[in-house]
Amino acid sequence: MGRELQFEIFRYNPQKEGDQPRMQTFRLEETQNMTLFIALNRIREEQDPSLIFDFCCRAGICGACAMVINGRPGLACQTKTKDQPSKIVLHPLPVFKLIGDLAVDTGVWFREMYEKTESWVHTSKTFDPTKEEERMNNDVAEQIYELERCIECGCCVSACGTARLREDFMGAAALNRIARFVVDPRDERTDKQYFEIIGNDNGVFGCMGLLACEDVCPKGLPLQNQLGFLRRKMGITAIKEIFRK
Amino acid sequence: MSVDATLHVVRPSKRDAVLDWMQMLTGAGLILFMWCHMLLVSSVIISPKVMNAIAYFFEVTYMAQVGGPVIFLAFLLHFVLAARKIPFRAEGQDTIWKHAKMMHHKDTWLWVVQAVTAMIILIMGAIHMWVVLTDLPITAAKSAARIQGGFWFVFYLILLPCVELHVSIGFYRIGIKWGFIKSEGRAAFKKLEGLLFTIFMVIGIITLIRFMFLA
Repeated sequence: MGRELQFEIFRYNPQKEGDQPRMQTFRLEETQNMTLFIALNRIREEQDPSLIFDFCCRAGICGACAMVINGRPGLACQTKTKDQPSKIVLHPLPVFKLIGDLAVDTGVWFREMYEKTESWVHTSKTFDPTKEEERMNNDVAEQIYELERCIECGCCVSACGTARLREDFMGAAALNRIARFVVDPRDERTDKQYFEIIGNDNGVFGCMGLLACEDVCPKGLPLQNQLGFLRRKMGITAIKEIFRK
Repeated sequence: MSVDATLHVVRPSKRDAVLDWMQMLTGAGLILFMWCHMLLVSSVIISPKVMNAIAYFFEVTYMAQVGGPVIFLAFLLHFVLAARKIPFRAEGQDTIWKHAKMMHHKDTWLWVVQAVTAMIILIMGAIHMWVVLTDLPITAAKSAARIQGGFWFVFYLILLPCVELHVSIGFYRIGIKWGFIKSEGRAAFKKLEGLLFTIFMVIGIITLIRFMFLA
């Protein structure tokens, strides 16, 4: 016999007329190696088919199942129930638009972020499909890959005090995205051009250093180091620009 | 109410970068000042004569008369700069409070502590500076008389922990924000932050008690 788990789940479907936000309790017997992915699916299968939540890969790759688990943003598929107390409170991620119950729309936010950060390699070279690919130093490739591992779950944004206070704040995901292009030698953007995107209070200077992003990131991205790196880099860029005049 | 379409595009500016630099530099300067301040005042523990000699030195070199008001201006400037990040509307305060309660995250709470102590220090620190700087020279006997009145003893019992919390959290935060501390060093640095807080609190309390019983 496993523990009896008590789930307190936020319920609200904006599509349903007259629906009121409320917390609903579900009970479930814990099984071996149970994750929240398994638990939520069982609740939906066995107790309430109207429960809305997102899932896709169930392996911490797609980032769809991010939610607030006992106060902390995290991935449901990576959260084992045995690591949680027997009462598990689930909320949808704040900051993002609510679709219903535990599902939020991170897509629109990330699309806007991509547009704002111009999230592509900026190069003046014309692509020649017949030519051999340019070689890259392995260390640099690994550095880029490390930052590319972001699965865009939105946990860092939801955990960020600044993002909660100011909706125009870009958040760690966007700044990490910029850091990825800063280390990429193929991107020809200059520090001054990066500064135009993130050298303000919506960008890196808005960060208050609460580091919840670093602490909740399910992929363990080096967000603290990237934020510090960018602040120094952008700070120095500003000083250089002032003295250049 | 907002308008989606606009003809006005904000031009890139160095304003926020300069403000952030100044916030950090005034903060770092004030941290150094507060550490020195505590060490100098605590010289009364060794002997009131030592404290008087130090105070005399700052007096004859005009560092108290000029340095004092400069520190006061840096203090106000730091407040104005850092206040850009503090929510002054009830709505924002409600948001960050609920957020901190939801997260159970120490660094988020530390920020709330920083913001709350900032407001207390703004008022009490200003009063303290006014009282001391309008009654120069500083002597151990005058300070002791003030503390022994009772009111100022309680006043400093509130101001001291607020300052020490604000200073040590600020020290940690500058290191984090500007990337002087990497993620590997974060836990150790946080311990250092706690240690600094404890050390300066102990020195501060002993100093207060020494003043209380100074003949």
